[in-house]
Amino acid sequence: MDSLRTLWPYLKMHQRQYVIGMVLVIFANSINLLPFYFIRLVIDGLTGARDGNPGTPGITLGQAGWYALGIVAAAAAAGVLMLYMRRLIVVASRQTEYEIRRDIFAHLQGLDKPYYDRASTGDLMNRLTGDLSAVRETLGFGAWQIVNIVSGFLTSFAVMFSLSWQLTLIVLAVVPIIVGVLTYLARLINVRHRLAQEQSSKIAGKAQENFSGARVVKGYAIEDREISEYRAMNLELLRRNIALTKVDGPLRSFMSLLLGLAFALILLVGGRLILNSNGAFTVGMFVQFVGTLERLTFPMLMIGWITGVTQRGLASWLRLRELYDARAQVQDVPGRTDTSVRVLDGDLRFENVSMDYGSREVLRNIDLHVPAGTFLGITGPTGSGKTVLGQLITRSMDPSSGVVRMDGHDLHVIPLKALHDAVAVVPQEPFLFGDSIANNIAFGVEKQELPVVKTGVSVVGAPLPPNIPQMPDPERVRNAARLAGLLEDIEGFPEGFETLLGERGVTLSGGQRQRTAIARAIVREPAILILDDSLSAVDTETERKILDGLREVSAGRTVILIAHRVSTLRHADKIVVLEEGRVTEQGSHDELLELNGHYAELERLQRLASDLDEDDDAISDPEEAANRLAARREAIRDAQATQTQTRQEVLK
Amino acid sequence: MTAPDDSYKKEFDAQLTRRVLRYVQPYLRLVIGGILLALLISLASPVFALIQRHAIDSFLTPLALQRAGNLDALYRGLTFTALLYAGLKVLQFGLQYAFALAIGYLGQNVLRDIRADVFSKLQRLQLAYFDQNPVGRLITRVTSDVDAINQFITNGLVSLIQSTFIIVVYVVIMLSVNWRLALISFTVLPVLYFSTNFFRTKLRDAFRDTRTQQATVNSKLNENITGMLTVQLFGRERRSALDFDHSNRALLTANENSVHWFSLFMPVVAVLGQVAVALILYFASRQILGVSVDADGALQTGVVAGAITVGTLFAFIQLSQQLFQPIQDLADVFNTLQAAMASSERIFGVLDTEEEIADKPDAKTLPNFEGQVDFEQVWFSYDQTVTAETPDSDSRWILRGIDLHIQPGESVALVGATGAGKTSVTALVSRFYDVQRGAVKVDGVNVRDLAQHDLRKHVGVVLQDVFLFAGTIESNLTLNNAEIPHERVVEACKYVGVHDYILSLDHGYQTEVRERGATLSTGQKQLLAFARALIQNPDILLVLDEATANVDTETELRIQQALVKVMYGRTSIIIAHRLSTIEHCDRIVVMRKGLVVEQGSHRELLEHGGYYARLHRLQYSQADAAD
Ligand SMILES: Nc1ncnc2c1ncn2[C@@H]1O[C@H](COP(=O)(O)OP(=O)(O)OP(=O)(O)O)[C@@H](O)[C@H]1O
Ligand SMILES: Nc1ncnc2c1ncn2[C@@H]1O[C@H](COP(=O)(O)OP(=O)(O)OP(=O)(O)O)[C@@H](O)[C@H]1O
Ligand SMILES: [Mg+2]
Ligand SMILES: [Mg+2]
Repeated sequence: MDSLRTLWPYLKMHQRQYVIGMVLVIFANSINLLPFYFIRLVIDGLTGARDGNPGTPGITLGQAGWYALGIVAAAAAAGVLMLYMRRLIVVASRQTEYEIRRDIFAHLQGLDKPYYDRASTGDLMNRLTGDLSAVRETLGFGAWQIVNIVSGFLTSFAVMFSLSWQLTLIVLAVVPIIVGVLTYLARLINVRHRLAQEQSSKIAGKAQENFSGARVVKGYAIEDREISEYRAMNLELLRRNIALTKVDGPLRSFMSLLLGLAFALILLVGGRLILNSNGAFTVGMFVQFVGTLERLTFPMLMIGWITGVTQRGLASWLRLRELYDARAQVQDVPGRTDTSVRVLDGDLRFENVSMDYGSREVLRNIDLHVPAGTFLGITGPTGSGKTVLGQLITRSMDPSSGVVRMDGHDLHVIPLKALHDAVAVVPQEPFLFGDSIANNIAFGVEKQELPVVKTGVSVVGAPLPPNIPQMPDPERVRNAARLAGLLEDIEGFPEGFETLLGERGVTLSGGQRQRTAIARAIVREPAILILDDSLSAVDTETERKILDGLREVSAGRTVILIAHRVSTLRHADKIVVLEEGRVTEQGSHDELLELNGHYAELERLQRLASDLDEDDDAISDPEEAANRLAARREAIRDAQATQTQTRQEVLK
Repeated sequence: MTAPDDSYKKEFDAQLTRRVLRYVQPYLRLVIGGILLALLISLASPVFALIQRHAIDSFLTPLALQRAGNLDALYRGLTFTALLYAGLKVLQFGLQYAFALAIGYLGQNVLRDIRADVFSKLQRLQLAYFDQNPVGRLITRVTSDVDAINQFITNGLVSLIQSTFIIVVYVVIMLSVNWRLALISFTVLPVLYFSTNFFRTKLRDAFRDTRTQQATVNSKLNENITGMLTVQLFGRERRSALDFDHSNRALLTANENSVHWFSLFMPVVAVLGQVAVALILYFASRQILGVSVDADGALQTGVVAGAITVGTLFAFIQLSQQLFQPIQDLADVFNTLQAAMASSERIFGVLDTEEEIADKPDAKTLPNFEGQVDFEQVWFSYDQTVTAETPDSDSRWILRGIDLHIQPGESVALVGATGAGKTSVTALVSRFYDVQRGAVKVDGVNVRDLAQHDLRKHVGVVLQDVFLFAGTIESNLTLNNAEIPHERVVEACKYVGVHDYILSLDHGYQTEVRERGATLSTGQKQLLAFARALIQNPDILLVLDEATANVDTETELRIQQALVKVMYGRTSIIIAHRLSTIEHCDRIVVMRKGLVVEQGSHRELLEHGGYYARLHRLQYSQADAAD
């Protein structure tokens, strides 16, 4: 019932279609009883002797003709009603499906990284396809079928009762059995159908994984294992499908068997009635009775079916509701969000920021000020929290405690749109789209404000969505590609900027992919540019070119560059070293070298080989150097542990 | 991405059909059994209407009583008929059940065989095929296309046979019972056939359109969900939403169109059914009433005994209605056929795709793998239209005459500008692609002459892009090979320094990997991929493609230390932009635009003062120069 309540807003939008449609069903059902009435009249006329003489028929050919026409007319009338019913109700269910899909899509656009970290694409897709269809089926097919069944039964029974109460009693005794058996079967079918469906999506999932990971599969020559796993799943699917066929295949013939048995019974009893009643119960009435009963075949079959459909539909709607109910931590909140903030300069401040994932402390008490226009370098060991730090700036998630400020505003009050307009990111693992290079680079530029797709409104009478303006501004795209050191590569491609990329950009080299992502960020001319290990896949020469390019565009912009190579970082205004989620060193290249800490060690290590010529005993053994770095980390970890302990003691 | 397929319809093609039928062959017994059952069912079906006719005529009409005179005899007859009817119904059910099972077994088995064949084939296809075909499209091959063939067998062929049987039996029986009435009730059938055909074709087109639009909507959904965070970061929500709304609307329109035709189709069939009833009713009445025009032109009426009975009338109504289904099925067979033809064409398209990289019949294996690698004047392009004859100046060449000889046990580094072709070189060693000119040899044998499986088992590759499968950390490391002991997994993880991190996770090695490793840092993922390579290939030629690009220097040094032990006496090819990673290699090969431009030891190259020296200066010494 709760599901109905939440579905109500969508139903209300198409209230008129549903209500009129259902009334039409009722009318059609009543009219549909007429043909057998006419048949009865004809048969009785033919057999019945109104004047007592069985030799003279009780009907003229003209009358028979009229009745025959009546049959056609009734069928035509019912047909027209059903036609309009379908165009009202089924269309309404399709429109509802559209509206739900549109609204969920919009909702998904508002969900944040923490949500997508947990979500699985396959699951979301399943809900938006399978579950949505189930809901639609309930609304469209389900809605009119329920009315159809109820009104069909009521009208048919009224007629049957008027024909013969004895036979009707028999039917009343038999129908529940039939319906019971069918409902049981339908439930079995539902269960087995679900099992088969599950296996089916499992096997599709297996194929999906295998095809996307083709490079790994081939690289490790595990094709045979994959094939045998696939075969095993395939066999299981066969088994489940056959189990389904066992209950599903004979459903119709089973129905016909049950009705046949009922007919035999009615023949037995009805026959005696005819023979005994002296004309009160006639063959014609018998035929009409049987015909009317037969009209219930489909509704009876549908009872079990429809319960399954509605159950599935309601369960599916609950799963869809979960999507609606998913709340982003990160979102604009009316009242808190300050809509007057539009343009940002890029002055950044971390105030005592900590970030936990479950029990894992990823960032701890970060205090950091990055004035607008600063070129900031960040380095630190694998897993030390550099990426997470960068993601806090774009507000991909909110810190567990502490405040991140931009231009003095808490990020919480800055409208997300303004924030995203001000910050451009080159993620550590960029996602490229299977589109042309030009479109990939121009991905984030929007020349004009586009209208929002309205949600929560009926599609009936809504205007078509406006055409989307063409995007790439070739000059800007080209310039960005040049700055990212990509232009030469692109010009080397036979199709230049129009080269289509494979899925996720697989047909580019690693460095080309990274530079496409850099161009995509630069082209937006952001106030803050974040490059997360974005030069790891390019050679030093290209790196130098890109850094020069960056300097060209970075005038007046804040640039945050995460990197492992000292050579990449050394020209930064300020370098921050993150270890175990804490800022352990900060300062310029020279300052840090003087500090003789992690950074200095790093610099020495990376210079190791170049110093082979000179005799630098201090670091001739890399293992020892690595040990020294590790020892530092141990020390930091110990210090943290003691601190946590002290804090806990204080709290006690 | 599920790119819509080009065709959904194809004319009947005898050769394709024969190939599909070849899949049916192993189940010939089921087929024969099914056909026999279909025949029996068609013979049994009209019996019921005839029994009803008999019951009405013999027991229920007022005349019956007059004729029999004895109520008891009538009762007995009635009971007997009812029992017979019930008994036959049970028999019919048995037949139909057996038939459904036979066809189900047949269809499902064929389905399984085709699916397995397509999947196995795809496993053998070259990587280039996967570069060119979006995953979504490949999945369609093993899902809906295979289903369409199943439809073809169970619905198309079977209903062709069954419907034909039924129609023949019914026509014969109806004609023999009363040929005039039979002919009259047949008049509706052609109309039914053609209108069904008309509507079904319209519906097919409409459904096809719906499916195409649905595929577009799904692929957009998929792309938007996987790339949602990117969309958000770049403020693309509105454009994406608008774009999606266009597709969503198109789908709605297509759906409405389907409903439009469907809502017309159903009533038309229903009305035709009632027209048949009305016709029978009228003309039967006419016969019963014995209407004839006599010499004076006046209508004569009067019941003509024996001409036709009420039972016959009733039976005809039943029979004509029962003829509707097979006629409709028959009208639909061609649509099913066409759809199946299109699907089987696509499936056989996959099955017929040339395995450009296939084992030769006498493919060799390398039992005593040494690890020598030779590139001899290798010219290579990803573009398959490029051949050995393509001029040297063509811009599509990726590798342009690579000569490279790596001795067993040697460690060789590849450096060079991005896009120079380093990854491509390593892909050729594993023979992911075949070269257009020249030859790649391993242990002196052209890789084309080796069994791929054997070759790749000797080569451990850590790819530039980490791919993690859905599953646990451990299953990603062992790649579901149950024979790998846990100890080896742990050992490898210790080597690459990710063991402690894994243990710190809630479920250790059994932690579920989120989609594409969302909760791991990039460096951690790289370490896992590295460990995977160590675990998979105990004795190897190791290829590391930027395997530590995102890993910090300390960890990298540790890995190098570990590698010295692991790799003792093994050949390795290492790609890195970070020169510190490769300086200790025996030989450094510098690539530029698909060519080897310099090679030698670190020191030799520095002395040579070429490209490498410049890179090196940029990375290390330039600071000193600048400061
Ligand atoms: N969504 C998440 N859920 C749980 N843990 C996470 C999540 N994101 C990151 N982590 C963990 O937080 C830690 C820091 O991750 P982060 O990606 O910031 O590292 P990093 O410094 O960028 O490392 P790398 O140099 O490898 O890129 C890692 O241990 C990682 O496993
Ligand atoms: N699967 C592919 N299909 C088509 N072209 C490709 C494919 N992979 C790479 N290329 C092209 O081949 C060229 C060489 O790519 P390759 O990956 O070998 O470069 P790389 O030297 O490894 O560069 P990086 O250092 O950036 O990884 C590039 O121009 C790239 O666009
Ligand atoms: Mg990171
Ligand atoms: Mg590469």
